[in-house]
Amino acid sequence: MSLLEVRNLTKSFGGVRAVDDFSFGAEQGEIVGIIGPNGAGKTTAFNLITGVYPLDRGSILLEGKELAGKEQFEITRSGIGRTFQNIRLFKGLSVLENVMTAADPYSPYGLFSLFTLGAAFRRREREVRAAAMEYLALVGLEKYADEKPSNLPYGLQRKLEIARALATGPKVLLLDEPAAGLNPSEVREFIGLVGELRERFGFAVLVIEHRMEVIMTLCSRIYVLNFGKLLASGTPAEIRANHEVTEAYIGKEDASCSV
Amino acid sequence: MLVQNILNGISLGSVYALIAVGFALIFNVLKFSNFSQGGVMTVTAYAGYVASRYLSDRLDSLVLFAAVLAAAAVSGAVIAAAVERLAFRRLRRTKSEPVYYFISSITMGILLENLITIYASSNFYSYPRFFATSAVPLFGVNVAVTDMMMFALSIAALLALLFILHRTKIGLGIRAACFDVNTVQLMGMNPDFLVTTALMISGALGGVSGVFLGMNYTLYPQLGQMVVKGFVASVLGGLGSIHGAVIGAVLLGILEIFFISWVGAGWAPVFVFIVMLAFLLVRPRGIAGIIVQEKA
Amino acid sequence: MDYFVSTVIFTGIALIGVLGVYLITGLTGLFSLGQAAFMAIGGYVSAVLIRNYNVPVVPAVALAIVAAMLAALLVGLPTVRLRRDYISLVTLGFGEAIVALLNNSANITGGAMGISGIPQLTTLPVVLVSVVVCLALVILYKNSKYGRQCLALRSDELAAKSMGIDVYRLKLITFLFAGALTGYSGVLFGFYTTYLEPAAFNWIISAEWTIIVFVGGVNSLTGTVLATILLTWLPEFLRFASEWRVAIYCVIVLLIVNYRTAGIMGERELSPKTLRRLLGRTKEAPR
Repeated sequence: MSLLEVRNLTKSFGGVRAVDDFSFGAEQGEIVGIIGPNGAGKTTAFNLITGVYPLDRGSILLEGKELAGKEQFEITRSGIGRTFQNIRLFKGLSVLENVMTAADPYSPYGLFSLFTLGAAFRRREREVRAAAMEYLALVGLEKYADEKPSNLPYGLQRKLEIARALATGPKVLLLDEPAAGLNPSEVREFIGLVGELRERFGFAVLVIEHRMEVIMTLCSRIYVLNFGKLLASGTPAEIRANHEVTEAYIGKEDASCSV
Repeated sequence: MLVQNILNGISLGSVYALIAVGFALIFNVLKFSNFSQGGVMTVTAYAGYVASRYLSDRLDSLVLFAAVLAAAAVSGAVIAAAVERLAFRRLRRTKSEPVYYFISSITMGILLENLITIYASSNFYSYPRFFATSAVPLFGVNVAVTDMMMFALSIAALLALLFILHRTKIGLGIRAACFDVNTVQLMGMNPDFLVTTALMISGALGGVSGVFLGMNYTLYPQLGQMVVKGFVASVLGGLGSIHGAVIGAVLLGILEIFFISWVGAGWAPVFVFIVMLAFLLVRPRGIAGIIVQEKA
Repeated sequence: MDYFVSTVIFTGIALIGVLGVYLITGLTGLFSLGQAAFMAIGGYVSAVLIRNYNVPVVPAVALAIVAAMLAALLVGLPTVRLRRDYISLVTLGFGEAIVALLNNSANITGGAMGISGIPQLTTLPVVLVSVVVCLALVILYKNSKYGRQCLALRSDELAAKSMGIDVYRLKLITFLFAGALTGYSGVLFGFYTTYLEPAAFNWIISAEWTIIVFVGGVNSLTGTVLATILLTWLPEFLRFASEWRVAIYCVIVLLIVNYRTAGIMGERELSPKTLRRLLGRTKEAPR
């Protein structure tokens, strides 16, 4: 049994099939890439897995348990963590609090313990703070703990998104274009970071990315989406050799298109 | 009785529609519910009254009525333009979030209401009777002339609005601004001009409704708090939808009249609230059915 | 002196009510245009229990707060799942419905004439202790998982859900807490003025409280407290301006909202940490 198994994922918006009968899976400790041109339905697939939109059809099994139809927060708590393509950090909170917030849903204390300054509240608050500091340290942000996220440069905001996702305790981590906007040295650093995190936590990683360097170095399996449909899947070497994929990406060879 | 209630409801609803459409219009352009409209309505109701006092010796019946409405509409437009300048212009320059517009507009509404309180010192005034006959028979029931006038003129005002929105360049600009107010610059339009025009249109509509409300009830400074009827109708209609706002307003008018005749004016708000809540639970996207799906 | 004391008491009562609005608007980013109705519920329930049914004070107050929370549950349960815009609509309708209800059950509430002869139990010490306790509870709430999650949800509801936050439950809890606070401020109000009338609790009051929170600063509790004190005292200072008071008040609010959009305090809080930073800065300055 795979850790994550997605079958026949389908979703239409109006008359457009954004994701059409997409099936894939990920094993524990595996890094899986999802690539495809803009508008191919990659982010929609993530949104379906995390419960942002309801599915039209299909099933999402995490350790054999069905996630389709559950609320977003339930899906996250079952073990699906994610980052966002267009960075969605919490503006009113500090860097540290951003990470703490993602661990807060697991805090068992109630209002009574809070209002009486009970031991449960104080202990848990210390734990969450310490854990959040640790996640920040993992991505190298510990010295910015008290900053506001908007004061961080773009590359660090992306790292903060990852630290926040880690705090939800994922079994599967979904990264949506995590390297977008990073400069080449940051990209290399990022590749190293994802590898380390995978070693440390043993989770599966699904990554959507346009930077081929990231996909080709990290992923053991790649799925290529085009117009919502699965175009090809395989190892990085197989995908690189696939003509259909290159065509979908950069058009036919005679087209005067350069990216 | 049934016909009577429906007719009364529609005429009340048509007044609400004037307010609701103003809300929808501004929501389209600036993405907030413009509560300053209430203050504008209070001022225009008094402006109409003052006009009627000055003109009642010189003009008669219909002409007088038309003059009063015109005075109220013009003053509404002027005040709304002033409100834009004082309460929204700077927020637009600093690209503030819609909530600040909301706060600014509510404060502006309270300010205008208060200025009228100072002017009229909480006295009650009432409009003169504009028409010799007060009611005419229609479908076997007596319909008040003012009700008919309210209905007819509201329809006329709404049609004029639709004409402006769909047949003029400025209307095109306002509809385009629905997506992004600043892109109209690319179409060679001045966003300031556009926003001011939208507010002036909604102010003029509010002016007309102010007179109607003043005629229906007595004139008092808190008259403008009836603005919430327009807010309710426009939200029920589906935020930003002109047609939805009109339908919402007429439904609200009919509902209120029905409940008033069944359970009395006192209990009516309770029942209206329950119906409204039930409606939102069954159809959370409003009458117009515009659903805004957030993108992740 | 009496006059001063009464102003302090009114400010304290208003502050407890505004704290409720702070939880809903400042922390969670929702608008309640019917918050004053919870004040009415608190005031009326305690007054009626004591006056008409001879219930002792403490249980009467407790029941009044429970009643306000039940009302918050009634409004909250169906609305927390609705879009934000609808929440202001539903709370507005609820507020107006409560006022109508009070107006029309004359045999219990005295109807539009109001209810009088409520014992005067609210004294300066009672108000001061109440303010300190309520403020402490709100400070704790803000600095716990609840407050953090509220701020997260205010900033980005979708991302909040994706971090495992049960936003509906969170909104409901916040609503209930706010209802309890506002209800209690109503209790204090009734026990001070000894007279309650429905007209005192319409949506304009709720709107004014919301304005106070914004004048204070986006989500700063310190700012909310400062703004409450400032804005409830301002009309008193402006007494010389007699009838122009409210107008001047509005102009000042307009200036703050337009020219200092983040409010008096922005997101800053007065805490030991910021105090130290502030002092540190002034120490460094002479060098």
